[in-house]
Amino acid sequence: MAWIVKNSATMQIERREDPYLDDELKKMLETEVIPRFPSRQAATLPVLHAVQHKHSWIPYQALEEAAEFLETSASQLLDTASFYDDFWLNPKGRYLIMMCQSVSCELLGQMDLLESIKAKLQIEPGQTTEDGKFTLMTVGCLGSCDTAPCALVNETLHENLTTENFGQILDGLE
Amino acid sequence: MALDHPVLTKRIPTPPWGDPRDRKLIDIDMYFDTGGYEGLKKAMGMKPNAVVELVKEAELRGRGGAGFPAGMKWSFLPPVDGDRRYLAVNADESEPGTFKDRLLLDYDPHLLLEGIAICMHACQLDTSYIYIRGEYHQQAKTLKYAVNEAYENKIFGNESLLGQINGRMPQCYVHRGAGAYICGEETGLLESLEGKRGWARIKPPFPAVAGAFGRPTIINNVETLAMVGPILELGVNWFKSMGVPRPDGIPSTVPASYGPKLFGVSGHINRPGIYEEELGIKMSHLIEEFCGGMRDGAKFKSAIVGGISTGVIGPDDYDAQLDFDVGAKYNCLGLGTAGVIVMDEHTDMVAVARNIAQFFSHESCGQCTPCREGTHWMYQLLSRIERGQGYAKDIDLLHEVAGSMGALPSGQGSTICGLADGANWAIRTIVDKFRNEFETRVKKKPQILQSVESVNDG
Ligand SMILES: Cc1cc2nc3c(=O)[nH]c(=O)nc-3n(C[C@H](O)[C@H](O)[C@H](O)COP(=O)(O)O)c2cc1C
Ligand code: SF4
Repeated sequence: MAWIVKNSATMQIERREDPYLDDELKKMLETEVIPRFPSRQAATLPVLHAVQHKHSWIPYQALEEAAEFLETSASQLLDTASFYDDFWLNPKGRYLIMMCQSVSCELLGQMDLLESIKAKLQIEPGQTTEDGKFTLMTVGCLGSCDTAPCALVNETLHENLTTENFGQILDGLE
Repeated sequence: MALDHPVLTKRIPTPPWGDPRDRKLIDIDMYFDTGGYEGLKKAMGMKPNAVVELVKEAELRGRGGAGFPAGMKWSFLPPVDGDRRYLAVNADESEPGTFKDRLLLDYDPHLLLEGIAICMHACQLDTSYIYIRGEYHQQAKTLKYAVNEAYENKIFGNESLLGQINGRMPQCYVHRGAGAYICGEETGLLESLEGKRGWARIKPPFPAVAGAFGRPTIINNVETLAMVGPILELGVNWFKSMGVPRPDGIPSTVPASYGPKLFGVSGHINRPGIYEEELGIKMSHLIEEFCGGMRDGAKFKSAIVGGISTGVIGPDDYDAQLDFDVGAKYNCLGLGTAGVIVMDEHTDMVAVARNIAQFFSHESCGQCTPCREGTHWMYQLLSRIERGQGYAKDIDLLHEVAGSMGALPSGQGSTICGLADGANWAIRTIVDKFRNEFETRVKKKPQILQSVESVNDG
């Protein structure tokens, strides 16, 4: 739910010496992304995607760096980043499992599939396994209703899933 | 009625003309070799305004959900003033049950790019952004590849055959979303494009007047734009030879349902998939001729017509004619995206309603109280009815809450955008058409008696 916000007044931001948005990344964004838009702020989503692609999530320090780069405020960036389900403001597992829970998927057994994956990984949706390998999420619809039930694991779509074949797919991941 | 040759799926093998296993990405050379960019060539020989008039005459209606006539939308643009004007291509496709745009993006991206180029010429738009949902990783890669090819072949870029528009050479960019259904709503999309949260905007002003970055902007769906090239190439009469014309006596200001359409069918059928047919095809035909009939020979019970927002049709509507009038005829919101979800006799409609309410309560952007609170309330009510803990009065309450949200008159104009109308119609049509299922699930007695009893029992 995008509109639920947390009190951040007393929050401590963890910092590190090396910037998340390093010079190389900045240079790439400056030449390839910024010129696409009439305002720097419009590059927010591409910049956040780039940071997340590199670091797997978006730490607050990275938000501050991105805000400076985009010539906007950190609070504005936090406002944007926290609205979108795909931006991770907390660390996530190496493999993000996004299980589709659309009507089409539920009609074809998504509930049982979810139960079996929860039991297998010993986590609930929204949680990460202790070894940091898997994070489990449920999502609205992945746009693959003809091959329901389906799930995304990182950037790969897996279709026509059963408890057996999905279990095997997860077992096969490093 | 039956389409005699595939149009949008001309290069994408699809039954009954081809085998989906033979599908492959059509690169720009293959696209040129099969008559690609002919429509653009024709358009470039015409004055921009003449192209708008032609699309208007074809009565091409938007394929993204609302069915608004594309040519009319294009003609709402103010006169050029030399400054920037934008095209925002809606490839957000997040409506549950909808997966048709993905087919075009996966296999024939140049069909879309040709439509984009024609639209940029016709409407004098210098920059286009293809807003594609974040979860379409592979499709975004394919699209970027195709856009690159189009730049190399002088469709876009500094050597573009479109020439200067508004004093600039035309550009086309792929822009990835990040997992928010509301960013498919046209003004939510624009906010997101500007780097903000995807809060839908109050209209007017309409985007054609003040859209992206405050400038005139056209927003069209992928399939709508993909249809523009073939219309230019083959003509208005050809396009209007397909679909359902206006009945006699209806004024020409009321748009009809012309042309071919992609239908994405999923659920309890033997061969789910995307099929192309003329608008006006019957649901029963779609299920029996294309989808190999109902799964396990079960009986048809209900179907979501075009994405969950449109609501359901009942068991007696098996022969429903799928065109833009489906809403008025069968008491649902409309054709939507033509993403059909078929449900058989064993389907639990309370569970379907709960699933839908959960989706909307998660995706509500939270600006309007009736939508933010109402969708969540409906989800709670439905969850408790599903668990067998609801009361008879919950059914009327559910109906009332649903009917109190939406931008349309049916939602009392209480919200900014159409997300709430989708929630309203989806839940109301399920409750109305399958009320008996809800009634058998709830406790009959008034709550106060029930609690007295439970005290006595305890
Ligand atoms: C909540 C909501 C979500 C929408 N999602 C989409 C979408 O994913 N793709 C789309 O093309 N249109 C979507 N629409 C419709 C758009 O607002 C808009 O009408 C459409 O993109 C216009 O293009 P068209 O006229 O070519 O159909 C959505 C509308 C609403 C209210
Ligand atoms: S109707 Fe719902 S989704 Fe649309 S603007 Fe209002 S709160 Fe947001």
